[in-house]
Amino acid sequence: MIGPRTALVAVQRRLAALRRAALAEVEDTNRLVYHVLRGGIVVSVAFVVFAFLLSVAGAGPLPEAPVNVRSLDDELARLTPAAFLSLGVLVLVFTPMVRVVSSLLSFAEERERAYVLVTGLVFANLLVGLVLGLA
Amino acid sequence: MAPLEQLLLVVVASFLAGLAGSYLGVGGGVFLVPFLALGIRVDLPVAVATSLIGVIATSSGAASVYVRDRLVNLRLGMFLEIATTLGAIVGASLAVLVDPRYLFLLFAVVVLYTAVYMALTRENAKDRAYRPGRESPLAERFGLSSIYFDHEDQGVYRYRVGRPGAGFAASGVAGALSGLLGIGGGFVQVPAMNVIMGVPMKPAVATSNFVIGVTAAASAFIYYARGLVNPSLAAMVIVGVFAGTHVGTRLLLRGRAQRIRFVFAVLLAAIAALMGLRAFDVAVVP
Repeated sequence: MIGPRTALVAVQRRLAALRRAALAEVEDTNRLVYHVLRGGIVVSVAFVVFAFLLSVAGAGPLPEAPVNVRSLDDELARLTPAAFLSLGVLVLVFTPMVRVVSSLLSFAEERERAYVLVTGLVFANLLVGLVLGLA
Repeated sequence: MAPLEQLLLVVVASFLAGLAGSYLGVGGGVFLVPFLALGIRVDLPVAVATSLIGVIATSSGAASVYVRDRLVNLRLGMFLEIATTLGAIVGASLAVLVDPRYLFLLFAVVVLYTAVYMALTRENAKDRAYRPGRESPLAERFGLSSIYFDHEDQGVYRYRVGRPGAGFAASGVAGALSGLLGIGGGFVQVPAMNVIMGVPMKPAVATSNFVIGVTAAASAFIYYARGLVNPSLAAMVIVGVFAGTHVGTRLLLRGRAQRIRFVFAVLLAAIAALMGLRAFDVAVVP
């Protein structure tokens, strides 16, 4: 037989474990968002600085217009400053989108239906904006 | 002006925009567009495109710090992002249909009212504290209420998010404005959270920083595809803004909420004045 005190302690332990799990989940989402945002801006700045160094080293002038996305890989292979500057800008522009997608996956993993819906809607809106812009 | 000097000037201006943008949660677009268009005479669409890049840089640089320090209310931010992105799309589509003069006049009045309200209302520990009573069903359903740590008085505050519907609507307006004018919409976003939803100033600024990056991203991609982003200019803005956010976030974390609110109110009053002038065809700022 389990005494009432033992049962109470067991319930309390279970509740504490649940609370820790909930906090850990919040912590995970926080950390993920931090790394995506920080990573995006740091990589972007790194590409930009690299482009400047290339330009200073005489690899070419700093550009006035962005490199077309289709010819970007070609330009990158030729190590032009214009290509790396454009890449840095593109990495930055896509950072928020990557953040939305990664939090969508994070919420899906945690089975938080309401927030899968919320981030899904935000992502859908971003896609609509993208399509409207390209049209 | 020699190009190199000009680029250095852009770095310095972006540093200041990043500092102010991260400190006030407005992204810095409201400072960068006039500087680029009037200060160094870049074409307006290019200025707007470059400023949007600056807004995203401020958002990523500042929001990451605020997320790390648990100042951003992620759930509230994501909830409001539905409205801002939707508003941005609608705003961009409506831009051609509405006479902007009425919009400017309407906004001048609303923004001025908000400025006065924010300058006159105090925010001390008691105001930040959790209020008793029932939470609104929507806020409860989405778990919007949160806690944060305030360096000002070393206090942990649990706060409740009120009137989520009204805040959602105001965020839609912020997004629409962003689509219309090519700014982040933070100057509507912060009061929407602080004044309408009762979120304390620091988490409001931090969460706004978090949201505006997404709002600006959609339109930034459009501008990039149209070839309006000048990569050299944008690169200077990114580097300058990133450095600026380091100072701005530090100022906010250690600053007093009351002072942040006051500086914000001054910014709002200036925006209201410029918008009012625009309504009567006096364009000080493009």
